[in-house]
Amino acid sequence: MTDQTSKKKVVVIGLGNVLLSDEGIGVHIVRQLSNRQDEFPLVEFIDAGSAGMNLLHLIANRKKAIIIDCAKMGASTGRLTAEPGTMKRFTANEVQSVKKLIHFSLHEVDILKVINLSKQLGECPGEVVFFGVEPASLKPGQKLSKTLSGKIDDYTADICKELD
Amino acid sequence: MHKNLDINVHHITRVEGHGNIVVNVTNGKIEKLQWQVPEAPRFFEAMVRGHSYQDIQTIVSRICGICSITHSLAAIKAVESALGLKVSEQADKLRILMHYSEQLQSQSLHVGYLAAPDFFDAPSVVPLAARAADVVKTIVKVHRIANEWSDLLAGRTTHPVTLIPGGLTRIPTEKQLRQLQQTLKGAIPDLKKIAEAVLSVAGNIPKFERPTEYVSLKQTDPPTYTFYHGGITSADNKGAVVPIEKWHEVANEYIVEQSTAKWAKWHCDAYAVGALARFNNNAELLSPMGKNAAKMFGLQKGCYNPYMNTVAQLVECFHVVETSIALIDQLLTKGLKDEKVTSLPKAGKGAGCVEAPRGILFHEYEFDKKGNCVAADMCIPTNQNHANIQKDFEKLLPEILDESENQIRLKLEMLVRAYDPCISCSTHFLDVQFVR
Repeated sequence: MTDQTSKKKVVVIGLGNVLLSDEGIGVHIVRQLSNRQDEFPLVEFIDAGSAGMNLLHLIANRKKAIIIDCAKMGASTGRLTAEPGTMKRFTANEVQSVKKLIHFSLHEVDILKVINLSKQLGECPGEVVFFGVEPASLKPGQKLSKTLSGKIDDYTADICKELD
Repeated sequence: MHKNLDINVHHITRVEGHGNIVVNVTNGKIEKLQWQVPEAPRFFEAMVRGHSYQDIQTIVSRICGICSITHSLAAIKAVESALGLKVSEQADKLRILMHYSEQLQSQSLHVGYLAAPDFFDAPSVVPLAARAADVVKTIVKVHRIANEWSDLLAGRTTHPVTLIPGGLTRIPTEKQLRQLQQTLKGAIPDLKKIAEAVLSVAGNIPKFERPTEYVSLKQTDPPTYTFYHGGITSADNKGAVVPIEKWHEVANEYIVEQSTAKWAKWHCDAYAVGALARFNNNAELLSPMGKNAAKMFGLQKGCYNPYMNTVAQLVECFHVVETSIALIDQLLTKGLKDEKVTSLPKAGKGAGCVEAPRGILFHEYEFDKKGNCVAADMCIPTNQNHANIQKDFEKLLPEILDESENQIRLKLEMLVRAYDPCISCSTHFLDVQFVR
């Protein structure tokens, strides 16, 4: 099994469901980044898909975690702060979740709560950075919307700056 | 007794999909009592049409972040049935070992993160981690072991990449299997610790019973507590086994007004699937440690308390760990061989069925002569449980109507949680507002 001490200290995790168009943006971006693995030998790139709770283990005891996910940034509160296609960098302290969980299902995951649990367990990376991308479409389909697909190189370039 | 009661555990975010509990009691009369699933319809079946038989398991693995191995295995079994592909004994055993890892992943996650807060009277696992740190750390440890186990066999923790029609693209080394076996042996004391912790609060498991048809896989040759092989059974079918190709005659899916998800029924007006169904149909075939765990909780075959599904999940954690230790012995005794897998496109139709952690799952595909998918059908366990949840509600509510509104709400919510539903199977995006 994995030796926890042998894990790379920096992890970049792409989250999302690639069957629901822009919901999968995190996975699409991390796939692009994986192609540049040689440039970042000390970084692990992980396509974590829609395994929300498994994030707890993927970030455990790292120095830094970068999480890329589709994010509605203000839409639920009626205070839209980002146009579709906008990518924003933020930390857990800079946002509050407005996600309503009813705790019926393991499939309801609030990533910010996973970070809280990681902190409670004393294994949260010192630095956790989010890159949230405002979706243009969450319709069933394996392709990104044109709005997001046209910007994917910009997204990866911005995230790479975080790795330098 | 409440004269008037208005409970509305409601979610309006259709994109994610949630279940709603609606209770309306007026002048002591139950006017409305519904388990609603207003989930936006998904189009996974349409999404695989036109794709090659070689890609189906990869696409459907993305349907769900919790049952991704299960969906992939159901798909690959259906593809292999359609194309008449045979799988070697070694690949079959490694797939079962892979499948067990997901059972432990999901069952430990459900028992530990979703059900335990109810038992310990905590709003969620985060505050529970502060109050019962030792127990939560043990649960996290077991869940982590299961994740790494999946990683070894499936090539990834979630959304497996080692499955191909006819076999596997990659197998672990004998050394890795030995290490896994040692890790699993080491996990047994942790499982016992979790079981003791749950047992200490088992008095909080509601006492409720409703005679129910329990549907699961059953394997008779050799007799096995199965998650992977066999046919479909229930006590109401007198224990007889129906071939999986006839799954439509079992599920009998139908549409109801209160839910966008389809409901299912077989011999009765509803049936249940999941760990308790498997236990009720196969308990005598559990591993010794699985049987001991059931005994600890007084769980016996023929249990009609749906809340005990969580206990059955815990029992299965012991079973899959103990059985996997033995399975690794079998693999190592024979020695692992590199096996080349080839397949050719062919027209055909086939069904695949496996037990997801939350119950029996059916996939069916039809391919043209080029091996491209022309039709697909899936029936997920959660949909098979919806009607049963409704029937449970209808018996439960009158029995608890003299309890406080909070207690009634909690018991209804706990009942839904006990079924471990997969409602918002596939999305989890961040929903945030900036505070700085």
